[in-house]
Amino acid sequence: MARYNILVTGVGGQGLLTLGRVVGNAAILAGIDATIAETHGLSQRGGSLIVQIRLGEGESPLIPRGAADLVIGMEVLETARRIIYANPNTRVAMNKFLWPPPLVDYPDLEQVIGKIKETGVKLYMIDANRISEDVVGSVISANMVMLGFAYAVDEGLKRLFDKKHFLQAIEKVFKGKAVELNKKAFEAGYEEGLKQT
Amino acid sequence: MGNEAIARGALEAGICFAAAYPGTPSTEIMEALASVAKDAGIYVEWSTNEKVAFEAAYAAAMSYVKSLTTMKHVGVNVAADILMSSAYAGVNAGFVIVSADDPGQHSSQNEQDNRWYGMHAHIPVVEPSSPRDAYKLIKAAYMLSEKYKHPVLFRSTTRISHTRQPVIFEQDIPVEKKCKGRFDRDIERWVLVPAHGRKQKKRMMEVWRKVAEDEGVEPFIRIINPGMKKAIIASGIAYSHVMEALELLGKKDEYTVVKVSLPVPLPYKPILRVLKEAQEVLVVEELDPVLEMQIKKIAYDNGVTTKICGKDIVPINGELDLDSVARSILSFEGREPIMPWKPLEPLKLEPPIPARPPVMCAGCPHRNTYYIVKTAANKAGLKDPIFTGDIGCYTLGYEPPFYTQMTSLEMGGSIGVAHGLSKVVDEPVIAVIGDSTFYHAGLPPSINIVYNKGHAVVLVLDNQYTAMTGHQPHPGTGLTAMGEPAVRVPIEKLLETMGYKTYVINPMNVKESINIVAEALKKYKDGEQVAIVSRMKCALQAVRKARKEGIRLPVYHIVEDKCTGCMVCVKLLACPAIVVPKGAKKPKILTELCVGCGLCAQVCPFNAIEIFKEGSPNWLEAWK
Repeated sequence: MARYNILVTGVGGQGLLTLGRVVGNAAILAGIDATIAETHGLSQRGGSLIVQIRLGEGESPLIPRGAADLVIGMEVLETARRIIYANPNTRVAMNKFLWPPPLVDYPDLEQVIGKIKETGVKLYMIDANRISEDVVGSVISANMVMLGFAYAVDEGLKRLFDKKHFLQAIEKVFKGKAVELNKKAFEAGYEEGLKQT
Repeated sequence: MGNEAIARGALEAGICFAAAYPGTPSTEIMEALASVAKDAGIYVEWSTNEKVAFEAAYAAAMSYVKSLTTMKHVGVNVAADILMSSAYAGVNAGFVIVSADDPGQHSSQNEQDNRWYGMHAHIPVVEPSSPRDAYKLIKAAYMLSEKYKHPVLFRSTTRISHTRQPVIFEQDIPVEKKCKGRFDRDIERWVLVPAHGRKQKKRMMEVWRKVAEDEGVEPFIRIINPGMKKAIIASGIAYSHVMEALELLGKKDEYTVVKVSLPVPLPYKPILRVLKEAQEVLVVEELDPVLEMQIKKIAYDNGVTTKICGKDIVPINGELDLDSVARSILSFEGREPIMPWKPLEPLKLEPPIPARPPVMCAGCPHRNTYYIVKTAANKAGLKDPIFTGDIGCYTLGYEPPFYTQMTSLEMGGSIGVAHGLSKVVDEPVIAVIGDSTFYHAGLPPSINIVYNKGHAVVLVLDNQYTAMTGHQPHPGTGLTAMGEPAVRVPIEKLLETMGYKTYVINPMNVKESINIVAEALKKYKDGEQVAIVSRMKCALQAVRKARKEGIRLPVYHIVEDKCTGCMVCVKLLACPAIVVPKGAKKPKILTELCVGCGLCAQVCPFNAIEIFKEGSPNWLEAWK
């Protein structure tokens, strides 16, 4: 059976690796084999970053371009940059947050959203930064908001996981009071996602 | 994570000693070991560089204690001297060197293929194809090392080290471990004077011959679906891509696949069998044709004329993936590469999506130091200084608006190159190096400048950690890898002892620092040997400490009425927390990203940047 491919894209420091770890732990809980390819070191310092999650039996950790079933975009320009991993059947869950790199000109939000929609992908958007700030007091949990949101809008994830798998995975990845805050962030993203389906 | 799998496997193999210098993508192996060292009853250290780490771990294995050293691929270059000698003298207990290579150069200056080191040093190379495989094979590597009393090189790559995968443990970590060694005064073995070296070489070559002769068995060589007319021989992550590509292309039954986990020296017996049975063979390996050359030699030596393809089809640059491997297989069959996946075209946007290289974090002390040094150089009348650079987060100073890194070649290179330049060019030269890099390889070239009357400023950026690889402690931190308090070796004292007039600044105090650095640079202009240590904690660590201790850091904003839109803060600092909203004439601080370093407020000519949210009264504690 073909593996289920999730491409997580964003800017180094937005919590992409943590998001990947939560999905990885959820996969173990759900009894699904998985590989999660991360990038570390210099590329983590505010650069363009992707995490490649492949669910189902297999060892090759890299997603071919065009083979992503789900794209989780933590930032708008990075989502646009990595759209080449998608195909017209891909679902794209995107944080409505455009974070320009310093000292350069960039396309505006409406234009980027328009172009992504033109490709035919199923685009779902959420202001995960704001929701994270509302729920936990800072943007730090925007990644869990995005994961909850993606889970709500993506049929593929729903087929593979129960919601409890993610909540239990959050308990494994975070410590102390961060556990409850991140569960709340996940739930808030999930609620918002349900409204859009 | 693959690196954690390697650490676990090494523990199960019974190591009691591990030493390393951090380097992407190897770092987490030793981090994982350090985090359990006390519970597992083993010794773990962050050494000052890879050569020192190698020597420490090798000494344990000389003395009957199983040991591990890990490093990134270019770290092996630093340790190459002792690597070569270790193969001559051998070991008395299992000894594995993990080389974590970085095909695709995710975080490195090159993508050298360290399987060559095995060939070069006569050290067998074991290479896994997944994190799960790494967990099993590291144990096999220890068995091989024990069997032949010889070092073994374990070659991982980024996509193994930094891929997460569920791994089911096969056994417990042994409670009884050999941690106390004994040193045999075996002079003929450990003293490699020429007469002894010649003798040891014979031993080494005999090991080499035997491994190639006898180890063509599981787990080092596995033959899947034998007897087919077409065969693929693959090693490392390439094997994982091959298996999935064949499955996706529906060609699994058409091919014999040889999984090579011991690429160097390649055991020839099973390979020869496959070469004789198949009519066409494709060798799929990442980077250099290390397998391919050996396979072609095996064919030639045995008069086999089977068609062998390799780097004529498979890309030699960058990392392989499912896509490139599937294309290679179709191309090998003479078919059009029609893929089962149809990617979308890149979006056509106006202006296009800007590149997003890594940047210094908001609050990064390097930003302060670079701003200070450039301003002070102007003030001191130092014209067009050449900034030689080094390896660390501060390498990002090569980008606009700083241009304070004009070389970055290898660890410690900033200072050695600065010395040479100072002998042959007229411009002033400033060598910029990080704290960990200074301890690693900065001392000999610093001494060399003074001894040989070079003339370059040594500028050490001390953020108190090996920051880029994830904040490992070093000799300036005051902590060991195992979390125990340690002596601090003050960089300024080292430099003073060498003969530099040494200045220490806290770059958070911008104006004061500019004055001190300007004075230092004037002294340099007058012909003195000058060094500067800029000391401020890594912002990521300051933020972490603040969060942990409930300290609120101040947050700044730009007061619109006072801001004239001069863009000085944007153009001189390139802080990711300061953005210019699309179409706006004035910049804005993303308050959720500001960590309150206050540099922009000190730089703004119109005092338009003010505190928006006060920090806790003790907020400076977070930066200490």
